[in-house]
Amino acid sequence: MGGNKNKWLLLASGIFILIIYPLIFTLPFPRHLMIMIFLYASLGLAWNMIGGYAGQISLGHAIYFGTGAYTSTILLMKLGVSPWAGMLVGGLFSIALAFIIGYPCFKLAGHYFAIATIAIGEIAQHWMLNWDWAGAAIGLTLPILPESLINLEFHTTKVPYYYIAFGIFTLTILATYGIDRSKLGYYFKAIKGDLEAARSLGINVARYKFYALALSAFFTSICGSFYAQYVLFIDPDSVFPLMLSIIVCLIATLGGVGTVWGPVIGAFILIPISEFTRIQFGGGGKGTDLIIYGFLIMVISIYQPFGVIGLARLFRKKEAP
Amino acid sequence: MALLEIKQLTKNFGGLMANDHIDIQVNEGEIIGLIGPNGAGKTTLFNCIAGFYPPSGGQVWFKGEDITGLPANKVCLLGIARTFQIVRVFKDITVLDNVMVGAFNRTNLAATAKKKALEVLDFCGLAPKRNMIAGGLTIADKKRLEFAKALATGPSLLMLDEAMAGLNQTETAEAIELVKKVRQAGITVLLVEHVMEVVMPISHRVVVLDYGRKIAEDVPEKIINNEEVIKAYLGDKYHASRRTP
Repeated sequence: MGGNKNKWLLLASGIFILIIYPLIFTLPFPRHLMIMIFLYASLGLAWNMIGGYAGQISLGHAIYFGTGAYTSTILLMKLGVSPWAGMLVGGLFSIALAFIIGYPCFKLAGHYFAIATIAIGEIAQHWMLNWDWAGAAIGLTLPILPESLINLEFHTTKVPYYYIAFGIFTLTILATYGIDRSKLGYYFKAIKGDLEAARSLGINVARYKFYALALSAFFTSICGSFYAQYVLFIDPDSVFPLMLSIIVCLIATLGGVGTVWGPVIGAFILIPISEFTRIQFGGGGKGTDLIIYGFLIMVISIYQPFGVIGLARLFRKKEAP
Repeated sequence: MALLEIKQLTKNFGGLMANDHIDIQVNEGEIIGLIGPNGAGKTTLFNCIAGFYPPSGGQVWFKGEDITGLPANKVCLLGIARTFQIVRVFKDITVLDNVMVGAFNRTNLAATAKKKALEVLDFCGLAPKRNMIAGGLTIADKKRLEFAKALATGPSLLMLDEAMAGLNQTETAEAIELVKKVRQAGITVLLVEHVMEVVMPISHRVVVLDYGRKIAEDVPEKIINNEEVIKAYLGDKYHASRRTP
């Protein structure tokens, strides 16, 4: 089919552009912008696994991001563990945390689940603000180590960070694609669609909700560890904020929930807006991006609840004979 | 041996006895009709068998195994599939995807599930509509899809809760044909209806519930002349006038 061939061509050229991007844009800012897009696209994709596919709206995802950031950082600072291993341990911690949080929260339906996740996210942030051993409100400054892939620190160029972020993004999108095409994806969608019907078709609802949250927490946590290594400074306000939880949810919602490419599109729209307004208005314009974003969300939810990707599908349908 | 055996099953909601010590035996290969006026306790009985409500008393045995109080997903895995009176299709995904969700009950592989789902869709006459979004189907097709989803789970007992309510005569006739086809494929059917005309021509035996109690169980020809049943459906007045001449 011609449509399919075009799709592969688009995908191949997209990958090609992203690979050569840092060679074309040699200034730090465009590279930083793209790293942020990769990071937030991965976060949006991870949130999409539980929020989009399984329909359980979590507004406390910063907890897994923070867990990833703090686990790899503390392991590095106190025990000298490589951030790569820390990243993996953080991911496993987040899965354990997902189980502890999911067990009581999944008994709540709809909005009540969302409210509970906000509350837990806030508890986590306040806990970290007062936990002296983990740096409390002062935060943790990562030790400056020699530049190397093993240390996951680069001081003279952003290019290695770019490719690592690209790698994490690729991994997350492949995982999403795998979910979308497998039993997991079908079961998640069934749980989102109708709980009772899902149970009647043999789905262990509690177990599959947990699978969705565990996968989502794992990938969110990996992004957190990467963020810590990129910025080299973390504190509860930067890795545990409620705003982060909301932004990842908005990215997926704007792009289109429950689809592979939705959160990617969302990140490509939001992150440039957010970065450019930050430059334009500086600290005084904090939140300008969210005003624009809030407006976009309103427009999208009124005219096209399936997000930008729904809009694209609508146009494609109209073109078809 | 009975495929499904319900022993003294009781379910009460507070003071209301929805099911009062009900005994039913369903043998392999049968079509059993479960009828009764509105509020007789048919759907409650269904929910108790399928694991949606824990029974207050009594037992449910399936294939020689006590399944009383097992959760719905385990009951489905053991081989009992059900449909809902008010259709519960997954309305945002396609017809094929809906049926594939059911088919995943017996496999972990998407390719196998898809193959099974396509077979079931073909069997139910929904194959031409497989790529439609389920929310856009007509009510008759939604009921058919509900049926296909349940069938795709690979059951040995299919329980249909008013699968024909709200259909016109042609659609009802088609649905009846489908039930017959299912039985020919070796699947036992338990059919809940409150429309007698649907149940009578296809059932081997009919069980009648009224106010939570089993008031009759017999072959269809005898059920339609059963005093208790006529009384339950038409009331004492009509029952009396019918007797006088």
